[in-house]
Amino acid sequence: MLSDITIGQYYKADSFVHRLDARSKIILTTLFLVIIFMCKNFLSLALMFVLLVVSVLACKVPVKMFLKSVKPIIPIVIFTAVINVIYATGGTELVSFWKISITTKGLATAFFMAVRIICLIISSSILTYTTVPTALTDGIEKLFSPLKVLHVDVHTLAMMMTLALRFIPTLIEEINRITNAQKARGADFESGKLLERVKAMIPILIPLFVSAFNRAYELAFAMSCRCYRGGEGRTRMKQPKMRVGDYMMLLLFAVIIAGVILLNHFFGKIV
Amino acid sequence: MSVTVLETKDLTYIYSKGTNYELAAIRDINLSIEKGELVGIIGHTGSGKSTLIQHFNGILKATSGTVLLDGTDIWQDKSKIRNVRFKVGVCFQYPEYQLFEETVYKDIAFGPKNMGLDEKEIDRKVRQVCEFVGLDESYFEKSPFDLSGGEKRRVAIAGIMAMEPEVLVLDEPCAGLDPKGRNVILDLICEYRKKTGSTVLVVSHSMEDISKIATKILVMNDSKLAFYDTVENVFAKSDELIEMGLNIPEITKLFLKLKKAGYDVRTDIYTLEQAEKELLALAGRGKKNAQ
Repeated sequence: MLSDITIGQYYKADSFVHRLDARSKIILTTLFLVIIFMCKNFLSLALMFVLLVVSVLACKVPVKMFLKSVKPIIPIVIFTAVINVIYATGGTELVSFWKISITTKGLATAFFMAVRIICLIISSSILTYTTVPTALTDGIEKLFSPLKVLHVDVHTLAMMMTLALRFIPTLIEEINRITNAQKARGADFESGKLLERVKAMIPILIPLFVSAFNRAYELAFAMSCRCYRGGEGRTRMKQPKMRVGDYMMLLLFAVIIAGVILLNHFFGKIV
Repeated sequence: MSVTVLETKDLTYIYSKGTNYELAAIRDINLSIEKGELVGIIGHTGSGKSTLIQHFNGILKATSGTVLLDGTDIWQDKSKIRNVRFKVGVCFQYPEYQLFEETVYKDIAFGPKNMGLDEKEIDRKVRQVCEFVGLDESYFEKSPFDLSGGEKRRVAIAGIMAMEPEVLVLDEPCAGLDPKGRNVILDLICEYRKKTGSTVLVVSHSMEDISKIATKILVMNDSKLAFYDTVENVFAKSDELIEMGLNIPEITKLFLKLKKAGYDVRTDIYTLEQAEKELLALAGRGKKNAQ
């Protein structure tokens, strides 16, 4: 149940993708997301799909892990697809009943949306599976550091993200512990109407919040004991470095963008 | 005559079954606990103590084997598992984290309320248990979050005791308390057992604490049941306990040393009174030999 949450999980392995700099991985993932929405016909979509499959295989993370991260969003995918089938207009009409008509365009749009959402999840999973959370937030901090000119406190935001990611497993453990304790007092989470079930969560939520706040105070105290004063003048032990591989990948993606644009241009647009 | 209240048969629990991380937390546990006993459960961190007790009230379901309460399998009727939890009250480690109500009174009443009792009965139980754990009426309307650590612990334990379970299981009830707080809790547990005649199981790291109150000791080692016997018989095997990395009471250590130094003394001694008797006896024997 709760332990199935895979967001922000890191999978230890030694692969080319793992060794890439966090910054380039963030850029590549973002680019991938943009390109996947630029694809207008099956050929360009297929190209992106092949790229995704190659990346998944290259990162040496078991395919099972990716399926696990896709599983929870299947209902959303189906919902989006159905909505698209019903509402899209244009193309040849295949079936029509009542006020609904299913067209080739509708089916194509639905298919594209479904593939896009799944690619979206898998590509962001590649990012989180292959990058340790601290490297990820460090990367974000570096990438957004130009915003300092606009007086955005990038360091604090990145630190908040690091801490949030760090405490996901801790809080899950805490929830399990509290749930067991309340079950031992006869709390019932499995039966009753919706409202009753929501009410049954109160004995879990209140202790959870209390302990989360306590943890936050303790952590803040521990950080100030170690002289944490924010990002000002803070240096790093491990300096992230862009290597040849990183530049090669960026170049490859530039070529792929060009390829997608050309494919769109020469083979017609379906959606 | 003694009546068995809680029994386990070949109880095994495996974490993450079917993956690479498969790990047996407990293995082939066969136990039968008699009514009215005060059992001290000891073992190393990770020896399976906590996993074992979570089976007694059906928080965990065994991979194989059964738990019998009053002779019936607790999982016989899955929908009745809640009733098992009222009969076997388990108080987890650091129970103060389970407090959530606005007032102490309401929090203690949570368990009895879940049992579906009427207001009057709930009120009786809450008042009785509060008097018992030493929380007077001035506490009833206080927020449980405003209390001291020791008081919170007592409120949390009272919340379990209020269900008047046949078997009360406490996981490390003294963890994180000062010596005075520890003694208060230990006395409370003994008193509870005397007054209600119920069976009590206490998980602890501290041999000293356990030896003070228990009638029987259950030793877990490496996911298996090592010993389940009377306190004397368990401490008589001090060497094996030490081998398992467990601490034995200081007094028992002293007698082990005396024995090693060549004195003819018993090694199953764990209270001051027994020690006094044994030393006097030794002195007596010494005199005889000298004559």
